[in-house]
Amino acid sequence: MAVADTTSALAVAAQARDIVGPDWVVTDGAQLRVYECDGLTNHRTVPGAVILPGTTEQVAAIVRLCHEHRVPFVARGAGSGLSGGALPTEDGIVIGLSRLREVLDIDVANQRVRVQPGVTNLRVSEVAAPFGLYYAPDPSSQQVCTIGGNLAENSGGAHCLKYGFTVNHVLTATVVLSDGSIVELGSEAPDAPGLDLLGVVIGSEGTVGIVTEALLNLLPKPEHVETLVAMFPSTETAGDAVSAIIAEGVVPAAVEMMDRLAIDAAKTQTPITWDTEAALIVELDGPAREVRQQFEAVTAICKRCGADDVQVAANPDERLTIWRARKSAFAAVGQLAPAYLVQDGVIPRTRLPEVLNGIRALADEAGLRVANVFHAGDGNLHPLVLYDNAVEGEQAKAEAIAMRIVELCVDFGGSITGEHGVGIEKVCSMPKMFTGDDLTAFDRVRSAFDPVGLCNPGKLLPTPRLCGEVPGFYHAHPVETAGLGERM
Amino acid sequence: MADLAGILGADRLTDEHGTPVLTPRDAAEVSTLLEAATKTGLALVVRGGGTKTSWRPPPVRCDAILSTAALAGIVDRQAGDMTLVAQAGTPLAALQADVTGDATHRQRLMLDGVGGDAATLGGILATRAAGPRRHRYGTPRDIVIGARYVTGDGLVAKTGGTVVKNVAGYDLAKLLIGSQGSLAVITEVSLKLHPVPDVARTVVLQTTDANAVAAFVAAVRTAPITATVFDVRWPEGIVAIRIESTPDGAAAQIDLLHDLAALEELAPEAGDALLEEHLGFPFNGSGAVLGVGVRPEHLATLLTVVAATGGQFVGRATLVAGDIVLPDLDPERIARVVEAVRDLGGNVQARRGDEAHLLAAPTPAPGVATVEAAIKLQLDPAGVLV
Repeated sequence: MAVADTTSALAVAAQARDIVGPDWVVTDGAQLRVYECDGLTNHRTVPGAVILPGTTEQVAAIVRLCHEHRVPFVARGAGSGLSGGALPTEDGIVIGLSRLREVLDIDVANQRVRVQPGVTNLRVSEVAAPFGLYYAPDPSSQQVCTIGGNLAENSGGAHCLKYGFTVNHVLTATVVLSDGSIVELGSEAPDAPGLDLLGVVIGSEGTVGIVTEALLNLLPKPEHVETLVAMFPSTETAGDAVSAIIAEGVVPAAVEMMDRLAIDAAKTQTPITWDTEAALIVELDGPAREVRQQFEAVTAICKRCGADDVQVAANPDERLTIWRARKSAFAAVGQLAPAYLVQDGVIPRTRLPEVLNGIRALADEAGLRVANVFHAGDGNLHPLVLYDNAVEGEQAKAEAIAMRIVELCVDFGGSITGEHGVGIEKVCSMPKMFTGDDLTAFDRVRSAFDPVGLCNPGKLLPTPRLCGEVPGFYHAHPVETAGLGERM
Repeated sequence: MADLAGILGADRLTDEHGTPVLTPRDAAEVSTLLEAATKTGLALVVRGGGTKTSWRPPPVRCDAILSTAALAGIVDRQAGDMTLVAQAGTPLAALQADVTGDATHRQRLMLDGVGGDAATLGGILATRAAGPRRHRYGTPRDIVIGARYVTGDGLVAKTGGTVVKNVAGYDLAKLLIGSQGSLAVITEVSLKLHPVPDVARTVVLQTTDANAVAAFVAAVRTAPITATVFDVRWPEGIVAIRIESTPDGAAAQIDLLHDLAALEELAPEAGDALLEEHLGFPFNGSGAVLGVGVRPEHLATLLTVVAATGGQFVGRATLVAGDIVLPDLDPERIARVVEAVRDLGGNVQARRGDEAHLLAAPTPAPGVATVEAAIKLQLDPAGVLV
């Protein structure tokens, strides 16, 4: 890893003034604090400087400066990430992309849109709407989160069950690599020869380069949408309904679940009257008659699996209210406790009841409350661990529970993260899911993109400094493993 | 030359027309072989069913073939989670038969078996092969959720997992898919499954007017129709659409299609047969074969190019991606297609014919070539996998 000091960061900042103009370089202590964390607020580091470029070329010029001075850098969009992916390093540079927020071109005939990374997710669908098109990935934070961040995290959202993730909807990206070179990855036409580098960049959490432009695929808006909320006496029975829906051969656009605590939180923000242990939101979309036929089947399944009440959205406003309740749940939990942690584990859908029981046991053991709001269709859990940061030791307790929850997910054959990313938060949980050799292979690919180690260091892959010695994870150079050279 | 028989034992070594073939039985043996090859400087070509070996340029050197034939079998299938894990050397057809054979769960594996019954899962991934169902279900990149692999120097590793949603670590499956076995040997793959629909119906439009085809395709593209297959066949002038849905859903969509153009509905068996025919199309004849892709707006132009060069095209109508089969190996003819597609900003990859490989050889941009070379050096430092 590169060695940097504050002087180097300030040297980069000083030279950057000539590139972006003095107004777009931040070195003042108070202003720098704005950038000390992202959505994961329990990790904070004030960066050496913040630079706000206005073009791809300026981003490249700044990265070249960082490369020259061996100063680490991290790209930042809206800073809404939940795993600390945009957490700065103390002597590093934050490259803020908030000025790159233009929708550059809508190509209706080919159903695609070219945007800069600072454009918010929701705006893409807004600009596409007049043409009957929309952008499918819809993370809950879509009003604020940006496309650059979506690419970095390979964001999903409620509807990725049917429509896939960001990686399934990006055609090309302009990427500034760690040495400041600019490359175009992907292709406007299908079947580009060569390696799928775009597929590696998407979801790489800012560790292999900075995306400065992207060409996104748009979809025609579905002809018909039906949404219901089914009230179940328990999360187990709601989970049974999810399995039954899937077994029926229906692929809903979204299947979301909220437990009582999450519902109580949502009630503080939205006019819902749900009074139940588990609310299951199911949305179907597509050709009208297909949707109607499948919706009848889904409604019957919910009732058969024990739903006391099934409420169907009668119009777009009612649908919006349901989704507001769901999407506001994270923030609304803040009304129930002074602080909370959001988790993001994934499990095989069929293990839902066991894992929810496991989470309950962990919460009881720690004496903390855990609200569950999650993408039930694809087994992506978002337990929210509530705590009081004024009580000494409670944050540490909450963090420990949050980690044990994701590790429980791995024990059940799942993943430590479904959409929030590893970032800084889960970097030390990576060895729970991957062997030393798995991590070595990841590290080699990272090195191919960023041999000096300047691009968002300390994220995604564990290091001895952050996590202690990780058994089996060593950094042998390929030349060494090839028997062509030895370590001194 | 290394003692090939000594690496995995004489029983793993066979001879095929003078070329040694090594057949490791598991990932550990693949690792042993690649470690030895790295130390001794062997050049190995990875082979699954060997159905698409012409999809890559002939290797400049090949000391032995690494066959994945013994890496076969289903590791795990979770019907409730709609996931499947299988060894890379398993023939895709066998996997599909296993999944669809389970009548209780009515599921299917939506990779297209490009290359016929011998085509293996690993081979489909390595060549990024996709056929007609790609219209709805995408390519291997959209269906694979994880993989185990052995790097060129013998590191046994995994990427992704067995759950359908997962962003932990880099998605190196994306990197391995389409890498033609040049970075690592894929040993095991995790896949998503999809439900079997209630009904499947196929309608066909016949017209030899390329502009009429393009207009019809554009109209369907914006209509409330979710086809599984949407193929064009040229110069025969056939546009085929397969609708898979609920009975009502299919009926409504077929009605709507009839409103857009004068179509003929095929009997179910004829619809299935058409699908198979399109799947096998890149293997027709003996002339050069080019895989092509252009932007949707260029469909009519591409069809005109196909007709003008004496070729035949079968591909996906809206993407636009498919294969052009030429009547011979005439370099001039190949060059005309390559040039025309590139003029449209499209992509060409040779599927058959040395001359086609020569003429369609890509020239990656300098920055991209640098990263590709760095990745190759990191994953296969001695250049074992050729």
